[in-house]
Amino acid sequence: MLFNSLTFVVFYAVVTTLYWSLSGWNLRKNLLVVASYIFYGAWNPPFAALLFATTAMDFWLGRQIGKAPDRRHKKRWLVASVCMNLSMLGFFKYGNFLLQNFQWLLARVGITYQPPHLDILLPVGISFYTFHSLSYTLDIYRGVLQPTRSLRDFVLAVSFFPQLVAGPIVRAGDFLPQLAHPPRLKANQFLWGLALMTLGLFEKIVLADTLLSGPADRVFGYAGPLVALDSWAGVLAFAGQIFCDFAGYSLTAIGAALTLGFHLKDNFRFPYAAIGFSDFWRRWHISLSTFLRDYLYIPLGGNQVKPPRAAANLVIVMFLGGLWHGAAWTFVVWGLLHGSYLVIERVIRSFSEKKPWAGTFPVRLLAGFATYAAVCVAWVFFRASDFTIASRMLTGMFGGHPNGDMILTTRELLQIGIVTAGLISMHWVMRDDAFETAVTKLPAWAVTAIWTFMACAIVFTQGTSNAFIYFQF
Amino acid sequence: MPLSISNFKRRLRLPRMFFRKPTREEQIHGGPPLEFERPIPPAPWSGISVVVLVIVTAATLFWELFARSLGYAPTLNDNDDLWALRRRAVEPESIVIIGDSRGWFDVDLDEFQKGLGKRPIQLAAPGSAAFPVLDDLAKDETFHGAIICSFVPMLFFAPPGSPPMERAEKNVKRFHSQTLSQRAGQYLGMWLEEHVAFLKPDDLSLEGLLNKLPIPNRPGARVPPTLPPYFQTEDRERRARMWQKCAEPGSELAKRIQQIWIPLFTPPPPPTYISRDTFMAEMKEEIEKRFAATKAAIEKIRARGGKVVFVRFPYSGGLKELEDKIMPRRQSWDALLQMTRAPGIYCADFPELSGFHCPEWSHLSAGDSVEFSRRLVPHLRQALGM
Repeated sequence: MLFNSLTFVVFYAVVTTLYWSLSGWNLRKNLLVVASYIFYGAWNPPFAALLFATTAMDFWLGRQIGKAPDRRHKKRWLVASVCMNLSMLGFFKYGNFLLQNFQWLLARVGITYQPPHLDILLPVGISFYTFHSLSYTLDIYRGVLQPTRSLRDFVLAVSFFPQLVAGPIVRAGDFLPQLAHPPRLKANQFLWGLALMTLGLFEKIVLADTLLSGPADRVFGYAGPLVALDSWAGVLAFAGQIFCDFAGYSLTAIGAALTLGFHLKDNFRFPYAAIGFSDFWRRWHISLSTFLRDYLYIPLGGNQVKPPRAAANLVIVMFLGGLWHGAAWTFVVWGLLHGSYLVIERVIRSFSEKKPWAGTFPVRLLAGFATYAAVCVAWVFFRASDFTIASRMLTGMFGGHPNGDMILTTRELLQIGIVTAGLISMHWVMRDDAFETAVTKLPAWAVTAIWTFMACAIVFTQGTSNAFIYFQF
Repeated sequence: MPLSISNFKRRLRLPRMFFRKPTREEQIHGGPPLEFERPIPPAPWSGISVVVLVIVTAATLFWELFARSLGYAPTLNDNDDLWALRRRAVEPESIVIIGDSRGWFDVDLDEFQKGLGKRPIQLAAPGSAAFPVLDDLAKDETFHGAIICSFVPMLFFAPPGSPPMERAEKNVKRFHSQTLSQRAGQYLGMWLEEHVAFLKPDDLSLEGLLNKLPIPNRPGARVPPTLPPYFQTEDRERRARMWQKCAEPGSELAKRIQQIWIPLFTPPPPPTYISRDTFMAEMKEEIEKRFAATKAAIEKIRARGGKVVFVRFPYSGGLKELEDKIMPRRQSWDALLQMTRAPGIYCADFPELSGFHCPEWSHLSAGDSVEFSRRLVPHLRQALGM
């Protein structure tokens, strides 16, 4: 079920009304479990069974880790949990990719092998719920969480419908404690949740789907060379689209959870105003970057090792982060590119950190735009379906096709320019504040006007229920 | 400071949970107690939300009244979910109409039901190629009914990756992948569209309105041609009827649409990145492939006892001149019938079918489509051996 669909509007209204009408906390939690499984099963009912199976397995493994007498036994159960989750992910998401690469490798040594094409349907959101579930056993092993006694509560923590299919990646340790006491219906919290949902849907329906996705799709789908203006416009459109799409989903999820009395952490914090790439990853898909930091980067040694090893750790983490997004080498290159950016940034920082000019506004502004430009270059690999397209796009962006085609209308170019400028300006204005702080500074009439504008824009845009980009991951 | 006091102070700074017995909830869930709570900006949220609700409701009502004052009325929008619902209605012996918008506008389902004894399923779709649907029905092992296929050469032979092929493929794909949620959404959407006039994505959506801005394009830009505005109504069976405003004699809307068809039906210039000769050779190859694939699909359907008949629906004016010039009948229609050995009805060949006028050169008015369908039925019966 998509947030930007009529089905969700009805589903959400019914679930929220029932939820706040029920008096017993257990009844309410049961309702949320049923609603979450309906939400997920509306895509493909059999996959709801798969979701339950992995959840139940991790619940049991979590208990085993908790009960294990020593570190060695705990590790054994943790390995079982990691293997179970990653093999599930590997089979559904990377099965064909691995076979194709195996075939390619064999061909290099002269062996012809035709692997069968596995007709595997990717369960929607598998990358997200696998991480939700995996965080539970990892945290029990790390000693920061004790196993829960309630299977129902754990099932709800993994499958809670607002964050189930496209994040934020909510760790069991952040969600389970919220199931201890029933939240009370607070009018301001509920209405603020609705306001966040409106903003999220505005970003998705109006900005991402209506103003940006069309030009981005045409530029990346064009089979010929493009002039620099159209190439850059396509990339900027995609940069805006993916932010508005994913941040829009996260905000809607956070808002929906808030209206039900649950608190989910921010997943984005004005990333296009980042100064440097470590700053970018503190602002972009925060739940994934912190997941990778805590469960991968730090166990690898993090930055508490010699600089070359720390650099290698960064590249390994970003390589896996890239692969997490999709079973294609283009995603791997995107990840490696970000890994390289982070390493280069560290080297530059080691030279410039204490220089007096480093903290001046012009330098920070310049560094911010350089970061944005480099992030856009990396987006080319993220969006392009193969390296031919990526290479053609990059050649076009850097002036390699002066006689290339122009395929965007003037109206589309203006649209992309206005939305991109607006987005970046907003990010810079609010970069040092929490979103809530920025809203607090506004007078009530301005908040009313902005909320009204966004709600009207959603109604008049008549969106077509396009899927969110991150559903495929 | 003595070491013991220092240690004591340090110990005091530790979180309280280390010094007390965990609560029942903490025993159940473990982990730290809830520390994170989203801040709620202090503002008069109740008042703000009431004002927002009132203004949005008023603006929506205003927009609805404005849309109606322009002549728009509630009707369904054609989309892949509605198409998928109709495709789902196809039974093994159904009569199915496939192809482009002429098969969509010009066929009256009631007249076909009266004449053919079965209510046909309307699967023709505007601006789309017939082949993906024909191929899908050929692959459906249970299907052995009759297919009435509208033929417009530019659309029928549209190459892979072109908009007509993509539209048809999108419909077929949605039929095979439509989720319960999408189906439920379509039923809810239909209910809304049957009551709200401004739900016209092509004309009155934000994108539709932006498309109308008179902003000139760069010279030499290869931008897609403009698509026609809203000029039809559609019901749950996907029966399309031309909007009366377009069918009226001397209609400005019809004249505007006529001028949209000309660039839309004019073949685009070859791409700049391959030579003209290569492009033409590729196009020729694609057309030959389409002939062969159509023949194979029809043979598959025939082998199961099914039937396929092609119909060249009426078209007129400048569009007729253009279409006949770009793809002459001998190279398209005659060649197709010869290769597939399928029966065909070329409406211009029959006096009772050729006297119809298309207000915007491409489709019949709602009234004419009923009479036309009544007259077409005997030809269909003969072609289908009924």
